[in-house]
Amino acid sequence: MPNGLRIILLLTPGLGLVMTLMIWVLYRAFAQSFGLYNFNGDDLLTLSHWQGMFQNRRYWNALEWSGYIAVVSATLAVAVAYPLVIWLRRPFKGSFLLSALIKAPYFVPGLVAAFLLINVISYHGFVNEFLIWIGVWDQPVRMQNDKNGYAIIGLQVWKQLPLAFLLLSGAVAAIPDNVLHAAQDLGAGTWDRFRKVVLPMTVTAMQASLILIFIGAAGDFTFQAVAGPTRENSLATLMVTYQGASYSDWNGAAVIGVTLMVLSLLGSIVFAALVQIVAKLMERV
Amino acid sequence: MMSLPRLNTILATCLITTLVLWIVIPFAMALMWSMVDPGTSWSYPDILPPALSFERWRIMWETSSLKTAMFNSYSLAPVAGMIAIILGAPTAYAFGRLTFPGKGIAQILMLTPIVLPGFVTAVFFASILVSLGFHSRYFAILLGHVVLFMPYAVRILSVSFSQVNNEVVNAARDLGASPFGVFRAAYWPAIKPGLFAAYLIVFILSIEEFALAFVIGSPTFTTVPTILYSYLGYDFIRPNAAVVAIVLVVPNVLLLIVLERLMQSANPANVSGKG
Repeated sequence: MPNGLRIILLLTPGLGLVMTLMIWVLYRAFAQSFGLYNFNGDDLLTLSHWQGMFQNRRYWNALEWSGYIAVVSATLAVAVAYPLVIWLRRPFKGSFLLSALIKAPYFVPGLVAAFLLINVISYHGFVNEFLIWIGVWDQPVRMQNDKNGYAIIGLQVWKQLPLAFLLLSGAVAAIPDNVLHAAQDLGAGTWDRFRKVVLPMTVTAMQASLILIFIGAAGDFTFQAVAGPTRENSLATLMVTYQGASYSDWNGAAVIGVTLMVLSLLGSIVFAALVQIVAKLMERV
Repeated sequence: MMSLPRLNTILATCLITTLVLWIVIPFAMALMWSMVDPGTSWSYPDILPPALSFERWRIMWETSSLKTAMFNSYSLAPVAGMIAIILGAPTAYAFGRLTFPGKGIAQILMLTPIVLPGFVTAVFFASILVSLGFHSRYFAILLGHVVLFMPYAVRILSVSFSQVNNEVVNAARDLGASPFGVFRAAYWPAIKPGLFAAYLIVFILSIEEFALAFVIGSPTFTTVPTILYSYLGYDFIRPNAAVVAIVLVVPNVLLLIVLERLMQSANPANVSGKG
């Protein structure tokens, strides 16, 4: 059998099936956002669904909200993971247990994580009871569904920190010891070694962590629906509202879905570029 | 000045304590909420529930749709795992053992389901199903899970395939082994842990998957995550949600421990015998 045909046959059931379905789904989202596959009327290639959405305050609010949550969550998760990774580079007593504990939340399903958090911060939750017990507060404080989205950001960081930790520790572990020793012998201090050796060698892992966390947080439905402020929508919750039983506006939902994908793409490009620029600047300073 | 190892130990102890609290307190609270006796309520200022019982568990088991949801979840996951492996293995073989133009791009494309927002995939997959007039929710979610989680299976399996020792393959051939004989002698020992690991990861992810199950399944086809969501949403019933959260998380944690072991034995050094 010719080699090319053999490879195509091998890839068809796996990659072939995945690509067929994903391209179909993507095409469907774009087509519906421009008025095709209209379940409520005639199919008509039109910009009206986009125009309608652009005049809708809820759409802009959701876009802004998802962007805000995603930027803050990605930055915070990586900012917390980075020092931990560098600290745990060399094993010491307790470091194994520590990294296992840091990784644990990755394996807790999002819905369960959200439920656990609202239990802890609820009106009768542990935080309230504890702070009253030690006398910091006189009476319980309402923290659930806070309007700044701190609960969602906290959940994102809790759940996504392990991802940043895993990616960054892979990159840091790959830095050969003798490179660091050589830098030390040449008189580089801790800070110089960080910005001239560690940072440039972990740029890719940092970009990957920021991008993956950004995409995950931008597309969040669960945390927003369970722990988010009731007055806000994320793009995903707004999209499901439009598609759901009360509206059945699939074309409107498609506009929101495409927006979410564009946001993910733009966020990824911006984060990747920023990390690259910062690393270059740090090397020169 | 304090020595570095000592400082490390102190810092590590503090952080470990914090993390244990960070994980133990939330789970302990969920467990207590699931065992709050329906007859007596747990409210401020009681630090602990006044009465504990398994009554809530019994009620949930006998009267709610938890049983159906568990049946649905646990009949989707094993089948999704099987199909993902069977369909993904040839691709993994190509990624792990062959060189061909465009391989790098093909490997990146395989990750598409992971990068696309889950709810976008779910909603527009549902839209396609509407157009096709496809009504079996079980098969729709099954197909969705196979496609969404196949990238993980392919990734693990391609590492396994790349670990198959060429010398053993050639030796088996030289000794006149049939293709099946070569497979059994050279391939099977190297890919076995990877196969189980790939199956388990798809199984676990399928049990946890929410977006597709919610968008396509609701309201008639429930899985454990969608029933949990229903107790967290409009009619928020904390003790019921606690029961479902524990039902969702405990089996998966146990499976993850098994997975961790398999991944370690799928380690190149152990499999190739070169380590």
